[in-house]
Amino acid sequence: MQAGETGVANKVLLIEDDDATADFVARGLTEEGFVVDRAANGRDGLFHATDGSYDCIVLDRMLPGIDGMGVLGAVRAAGIETPVIVLSALGAADDRIHGLTNGADDYLTKPFAFVELLARIRLLIRRGGAAKAVETVLRCGDLEMDLLARRTKRAGKPIDLQPREFRLLEFMLRHVDQVVTRTMLLEGVWDYHFDPGTNVIDVHLSRLRKKVDEGFDRPLLHTVRGAGYRLGLDP
Amino acid sequence: MLRSATFRFAALVFLLQLVSAAALIVTIGTAVRRQLRTDAQRTVAVLRDDLRASYAAGGAAGVRREVTLRTRGLVTPGTVLLLIGRDGTWLGGNLDAWPPSVVRDGHATEVTLYRTGLNTAEPMHVEAVRLPGGERLLVGTIVAGEARAMRMLEQVSGVALPLALIFAALAAWIAARTIVARLEEPLAALNAVAAGDLAARVPADGSRDALATLGVAINGALERVETLMGELRMATDGLAHDLKSPLTRMRVVLERAAAQVREPAAVESLDRALAEGDRLFALVQTALSITRAEAGIGREHFVTIDLAAELAGLAEMYAPLAEDQGRTLSVESAGSCVAPVHRELLAQALGNIIDNSLKYGAGPITLTLCDGARETGREAGAQVEMAVADRGRGIPLARHEDALRRFGRLDDARQGGGAGLGLSLAAAVARLHGGALTLGDAAPGLRVAITLPRE
Repeated sequence: MQAGETGVANKVLLIEDDDATADFVARGLTEEGFVVDRAANGRDGLFHATDGSYDCIVLDRMLPGIDGMGVLGAVRAAGIETPVIVLSALGAADDRIHGLTNGADDYLTKPFAFVELLARIRLLIRRGGAAKAVETVLRCGDLEMDLLARRTKRAGKPIDLQPREFRLLEFMLRHVDQVVTRTMLLEGVWDYHFDPGTNVIDVHLSRLRKKVDEGFDRPLLHTVRGAGYRLGLDP
Repeated sequence: MLRSATFRFAALVFLLQLVSAAALIVTIGTAVRRQLRTDAQRTVAVLRDDLRASYAAGGAAGVRREVTLRTRGLVTPGTVLLLIGRDGTWLGGNLDAWPPSVVRDGHATEVTLYRTGLNTAEPMHVEAVRLPGGERLLVGTIVAGEARAMRMLEQVSGVALPLALIFAALAAWIAARTIVARLEEPLAALNAVAAGDLAARVPADGSRDALATLGVAINGALERVETLMGELRMATDGLAHDLKSPLTRMRVVLERAAAQVREPAAVESLDRALAEGDRLFALVQTALSITRAEAGIGREHFVTIDLAAELAGLAEMYAPLAEDQGRTLSVESAGSCVAPVHRELLAQALGNIIDNSLKYGAGPITLTLCDGARETGREAGAQVEMAVADRGRGIPLARHEDALRRFGRLDDARQGGGAGLGLSLAAAVARLHGGALTLGDAAPGLRVAITLPRE
């Protein structure tokens, strides 16, 4: 499977000092079709990053030499806009806020699920790749959402959605055919970064699925085992 | 407290000022009186000695001549003289008769008498002298000056005392102001540190008085607090890092294994291992969050938000779960209510409480937002209370402490596999905000309330 939509493999720079983690992440990303370059410290990472040919940079927060935040600062100061995902063992919400205000595009706490990282990398690359025009109608198959009129229809039949369900479906429609994890939904739809316990997101998704898929032959909302959800035509 | 202490101090300064002014006036009065008396005594002594000398020179006739001479004109206007013979006959002077109150010879006293030809009695200092020939001589001087001086002093006091009153009040006010102003800086520094700004210090003003020393001592203590907090932060961060890196590796290994195996039993085992790993991680994360919240880390991220909207958002998030159990989740709030909070942690705290109710409670769940006055009896508007109540079995009063203890689980939760950190975290978050978490009886059911200050 190719990662790039155009058929050209996307390049990811992985700056991580923990060999084992870096190994697994690099192998996983390679298997998913990415070209991965690795750097084990801040200095090497910065050297590679300034090359500017990467589609995405995965940056560990705690690095020997220049610390992750320092690398990020230097990369942004050099005018390089490559999307950066910061990996951190510092999980507190405060550190996350700090990371995001310092120019990171996303922030993932360790231990993270590989699928989570993968989903987020894909999201960032797509966002960075296509500077989309402001869309007012989102579509997936016969599902259609009018953002201005706040109306949703499937095969011409209106679907009545609660405000939060609307935002949930909008989020899914903005990431058609991409794996969206529970944490991504929690952050994107509810703006929370903690584990709400129980299966809060699953319950919301199953309700949405009832409204969107019930009565139609072809389901659009799919559960991706061990990862999250995907909205798309393919099963 | 500082206000009343300052007021007491000011009152004391005022009183002392007033007393010292009064004491000054009284002392001056006494000194003036004593001086005037000494002057009178000296005048009388000189007069007496002169007359004795006259007697020695000219005998009774000489004294008589001298007395007449001295009382006739206005040579010495305040002079009082009376000479009587051995048999008590009037021989000369400006008194009509010997005053009955003056008995002993050589005794000086104060009397008020009429001088011959005058129709007002005058205070006078007199001394009786027995002359060698047996005649008695009364020598004295008018002391009206003393009374005049006293009257003047009274008049002066009438002006000076109100002035003293004003100055005393002014002094008290300045003293109180100075103290309050000098205490303001240490107070501000302590408040800032309590609010999370660990770098706040009392500015040094260069003086070496007690208040400056206090400032230095406070700074020393704050320095220590900051160092300890820094160490704690480093320790928790280090612990988090040391634990999370291996957990990440473990997770990646399991995940990749799960993606590679096809055998259903193996897949299931790996999924279980992943879930257990996640639970272990969540536990570490929560325990660290509690430690950090208890240490006051995170106050710098407080933002002022509408708690009513936040509660509504949480209710909306958890409502489907309640409905799936055939229960309801509703919000009761009296309009919007803003307060500075750590949004993420507060939401997590409330989420934990709601989650607990979903797991162990029963019946409708009600989220309420109200002024904290009812619970705490404090001034209305100073606090806000957010409560989660259900109609389940609740927790008996005797078990409340167990429920709040870290890793403390009640019997229900032991079966369910909770870690016993949910309520501990909620309580720690309440304390981080300077508030408190309380368990109450919803009769029937459990009512968990978080009270926060609105400032």
